[in-house]
Amino acid sequence: MARHLRIPGLVAALAVMLILVPGPGATQPAATASARNATGARGMAASAHPVASRAALAILQQGGNAVDAAVAAAFVVGVVEPDASGLGGGGGMLIRLASGKAVYINYYGQSPTDIARAAYDDAKDNKSAKAVLVPGNVGGLSRALKDYGTLPLATVLGPAIRAADEGFVVDQTLGQIILDNVAVVQSHPNTAAAFLRDGFPLQEGDTLRQPALAAVLKAIAKGGPRAFYEGPVAEAMVADIAKAGGVLSIEDLRTYEPIVSEPVTSSYRGYQILSSPLPHSGSTVIEALNILENADLRARGHYSTSVEAFHLMAEAMRRAYADRVAFIADPRFEDVPGAGLLSKDYAKSRFAEIDMAKVVPADYRKTPAGDPTKFVPARGTAGHSDDPMTAGHTTQISIIDAAGNVVSLTQTLGTFFGSGVTAAGVLYNNGVNNFAVIDRRNRLEPGKQPRSSISPSVLVKDGRPFIVLGSPGANRIISTVVTLIVNVVDYGLTAEQANASPRFLCQKADPVLSLESRFSDDVMEGMKKKGHTLKLYGDFDLFFGGSQIILVDPVTKMYHGSADPRRGGTAMGY
Amino acid sequence: MTRPAVYRALVVSIVLLMPAGHASAQSVRFEQPILVTSAGQSADVTIAGMLFKKAGLPARVVAQAKPADLDGQKTLVLVPGFSSKGMGSAGIDKDQEMARVMSLIGAAQSANVKILVLHIGGKARRGTQSDSFNRAAATAASHLVVVRAGDEDQFFTKLAGEKKISIDVVDRISDATEPVGKLFK
Repeated sequence: MARHLRIPGLVAALAVMLILVPGPGATQPAATASARNATGARGMAASAHPVASRAALAILQQGGNAVDAAVAAAFVVGVVEPDASGLGGGGGMLIRLASGKAVYINYYGQSPTDIARAAYDDAKDNKSAKAVLVPGNVGGLSRALKDYGTLPLATVLGPAIRAADEGFVVDQTLGQIILDNVAVVQSHPNTAAAFLRDGFPLQEGDTLRQPALAAVLKAIAKGGPRAFYEGPVAEAMVADIAKAGGVLSIEDLRTYEPIVSEPVTSSYRGYQILSSPLPHSGSTVIEALNILENADLRARGHYSTSVEAFHLMAEAMRRAYADRVAFIADPRFEDVPGAGLLSKDYAKSRFAEIDMAKVVPADYRKTPAGDPTKFVPARGTAGHSDDPMTAGHTTQISIIDAAGNVVSLTQTLGTFFGSGVTAAGVLYNNGVNNFAVIDRRNRLEPGKQPRSSISPSVLVKDGRPFIVLGSPGANRIISTVVTLIVNVVDYGLTAEQANASPRFLCQKADPVLSLESRFSDDVMEGMKKKGHTLKLYGDFDLFFGGSQIILVDPVTKMYHGSADPRRGGTAMGY
Repeated sequence: MTRPAVYRALVVSIVLLMPAGHASAQSVRFEQPILVTSAGQSADVTIAGMLFKKAGLPARVVAQAKPADLDGQKTLVLVPGFSSKGMGSAGIDKDQEMARVMSLIGAAQSANVKILVLHIGGKARRGTQSDSFNRAAATAASHLVVVRAGDEDQFFTKLAGEKKISIDVVDRISDATEPVGKLFK
């Protein structure tokens, strides 16, 4: 890693460290830095909860591979971060094997076949049983394990079963999230029974046991994924959801299959990048990076202290976001000019629109989509779309094993606590709210997947993994992943420094640029002079995600893992 | 010993046995009707409503209460804690929220409406953004009820000592029901 930092980069990094060190009174991150970062030579796991990271590490140490470890951690995190993902949710897993073979398992889930009967109204149903997508977690994780893992499902489920049966201690993050979302928690009696005590939210230090969830996990351990998607567990879940007003059917569950495909790929400053394919947002991450590749960000200085760099990143990202809402949708239902969105020439045309003196257009919401179809033949034209500013909270797991197999996995329930409905021990997602209200491409249809921000990604150099990363945070996932990559590749920061760097969001859907408060006053004033309207968030604000990142030192080959200070979590290595 | 002497001895004993340090809750009294509002737009104001309900005290919960909402009220309960999500949902920014809170405090003081502060969000409702609301609310209060996790650095305890404000520190949110109930007896 030292070779990666030249003198100017070192000076920049030191300057960044001065910015990144919080001043007196600044909000402190959820855990100490040393508890959150790790170094290892043979394996590394970074997740939003130490119990999940520990389970993954144990699997690696016992000879399991990265996929075994990721699946174990994913099941565990659904127990110990029950608000953010779980059996009732979905996600996406990017696997890159040491051989170079890469695959993406899309287990996000799709709308029920009878969704029309729900008469879904986003204004009032977005946290209800009507918002439930067919849950893909069990199917997707099982498929990954079967095709690319080495251990039995019952073995990798062991840690999750123990955590549900024996309980775990509620940490500060979960305590805060229960508090923030008490209205959703109270909305369904089973959910209230799980997360309230004496009618009040569980708080940090309490022990949470989930025996009903443990029973479902045990059934899956014994009978495989079909024990979830068919039989008494499925019947009980469907009955509970129907009682709560939902339309999920036994047939929806029985016929669920994850979608297995290749990731989208491109390059950024000499690194190969792999990310999530449609309708997930890897293409948007890549487009933003392709636009930025046309400029020398490093020469301009770190974006937290350089107006020029910050403005460039904001303008690039907003264009990528505008294209996302115009074009990205479920490719099984819509024509999407995917190759055009990934085109370097297209990105160059978008870069040419950026005016370094000022925001163009002055109103973010008028940022036009480009025309990627010019760069690849495709039917269909840009649509007009809203982009639900969902508080899509989610979780990220990043794993690397001794052989160099890597997994980047992002999974979710939609918003925290999803639909609020707990059916037969399983808290269900509210993924239907990711469909857009006024857009043809991303409109709600039976059997369709909504557009999702999840962007689990991997960067590769000279055939070896270099960065494994991803983040939760709804629309902020994309800007966070782009910013992390820029922080490492352009500015030469370490995993910990990149994770701690201040974050922002600049997208078409908002009239403001949202940012953490740790940018320098000069930069904020400079951005305002260019026409940006700023909205300040906390110092280390959960709004901007909870990324988990692993860097591989190209010289020493050591693994450096970092869990986001904005969320409870740990990287563990050996 | 004569009867008056016995009475004098009894009074002296009671005074000597009273806990030293900050004023006990019993020395502060609040009256109904009660208006509960947020200072920072966190969801804690919902929990505060639950607390009053559990304590058997009818309370009107208005997350963005204005001075006009104080009409007829005898107690203003401020629940400080910053939430960017809450601000977003309310469609306001931090400056607007602080202006609302300060105008409410000013109106309460002018109308002799006593102010009670409930800080129940723990560590999550501390930090630069939250502490500006915590300080504004607490310095105007007649009494503070604070969950211990939010006072680990003695922020509220020290402030209470400086401003001679009485304070109850409790371990759990649900533990706040008892001191809150006693304040209105």
